[in-house]
Amino acid sequence: MKTIKLKKESVQLVKDVLKDIKASPDLGIYKCVQCGMCTSVCPGARQTDYDPRDMIRRVLEDDETVIDDDNIWNCFSCYTCNSVCPCGNNASEINQILRQMSIDKGEGMKKIVSFTAYGDSFMELGVGSIPSNFFDVMVKDIGPGYMDLKINIEDIRTDLGLGSYILPEKAIDEVESILDNSGFKDRLKKIKRCK
Amino acid sequence: MKFIPDKDILLFKSCLVNVEYPGVESSTCYIFDRIDVDYYVDEKQSCCTGLGHYYDLFDQISTTALAARNFHLAAETGHKNIAVMCATCYAILKKSAKILNQNEEARNKVNQILDDSNLENREYTQGDMDPTLNIFHVAEIFFNKRDEISSLVKVDLSGLRVATHHACHYCKVHYNDTIEGVRDPNLIDKLAKAVGVETIGWYDHKSVTCGAGFRQRFTNKEASLAVTAEKLQALKDNKVDLLLHMCPNCQMQFDRYQPYIEEKLDTEFNIFHLNISQFIALALGADPYKILGIQTHTVPIEPLLKRLNYSLESNEKIDVEAKKSPN
Repeated sequence: MKTIKLKKESVQLVKDVLKDIKASPDLGIYKCVQCGMCTSVCPGARQTDYDPRDMIRRVLEDDETVIDDDNIWNCFSCYTCNSVCPCGNNASEINQILRQMSIDKGEGMKKIVSFTAYGDSFMELGVGSIPSNFFDVMVKDIGPGYMDLKINIEDIRTDLGLGSYILPEKAIDEVESILDNSGFKDRLKKIKRCK
Repeated sequence: MKFIPDKDILLFKSCLVNVEYPGVESSTCYIFDRIDVDYYVDEKQSCCTGLGHYYDLFDQISTTALAARNFHLAAETGHKNIAVMCATCYAILKKSAKILNQNEEARNKVNQILDDSNLENREYTQGDMDPTLNIFHVAEIFFNKRDEISSLVKVDLSGLRVATHHACHYCKVHYNDTIEGVRDPNLIDKLAKAVGVETIGWYDHKSVTCGAGFRQRFTNKEASLAVTAEKLQALKDNKVDLLLHMCPNCQMQFDRYQPYIEEKLDTEFNIFHLNISQFIALALGADPYKILGIQTHTVPIEPLLKRLNYSLESNEKIDVEAKKSPN
């Protein structure tokens, strides 16, 4: 029987992808038959030049330029590709791994620097929120009622019988300590520096 | 079908429910109280990191370490089952539980982080949290008790033309755990049916994303809103009055941006948006302002209530203007 032997040096990128903490143990990238189901259902592919099928091909062919290809940032993380893949592959998950590789290399940091306010408010309150720097444009898009909501949210929650959404101080300290020891604090600092 | 619990439940707080649609939480509690679901809300629970995670700002180990802390909180208060109101919490928590159970190196790393943070008593042991048997969306808890819900209906909503938007991070991430359909999702259609409303069922774009796409809404707005607009058009073509949601981020994308898209495209969709918890609570007779929290919506719900001949007591309406802080 004839078998296709991949050259050893041609599989480094796919090996790195599979070693990543995000990679599910049953991730079926080697089973990809390039059928294109992922691309055909992808909202990113419909609206932009992002092509998940091609992204997977490039990973399998050890084409490292895919890591810094701008198009990987057009994935919507909707996992529709994952839900239709006949091979158990997950292009959305692989996309997230490639983005992290791009961030680790440095280039990708520029893509996420505008979201750093999320990290600050997370450490301050223990809860996430829409990054504050997008607030002005949201008020402009949605209208002044959105500003009123933000001003009155605690009162509205009280009227609904709900408590404060901000964590007690001791819990916030725990969250901050975890994010310090996990390396997130340093990561956030590094990302901010590329502003 | 998987076993769905009705007790020992931690109702998991969501960042976008907290500050965008808090009525989703009060509606969920309203329903849980009436169908005898034993649940608990923990003020110490941190956010799942979902938005930050999908902005690619959070790394997986940080997200997983925070999940381990939350899993421990759930267990130590005797609420080992987690029920979420947000589909992204659902995806994030299941992913974290899978990593903690399957990846020894990551588990050791997380435990080291907890040790270094003087939280050694919160260490994670393999199997502490079962991603399939302990983590649920509240819609699944409702589905399991749909007969009880049916018996409590007080308001007739059957005159409305209703469609559903099933959140991607519920249906498509951990699809082996999804109930009532992945490619043709029907979980909230069946919940609508439980309160006497036959939805339109399948429609073109039914399983398509809301378009938020996390970073896309902010850095790629045109593409993001184009996806949303296509879905709204499909709903308009089907003459839909009301779209039901199960994720606050999807709800934001449609409710907050529908008027913006209408203006840009010079068209009118006139579609109302409610979360499935708000919709069921409405059918059970809950107050629109004190329980459903419709005062935080961008597309006003009042015209919908008027159509239902709902008596809106104007003196009960929370006057946002009057409540502005003095500064």
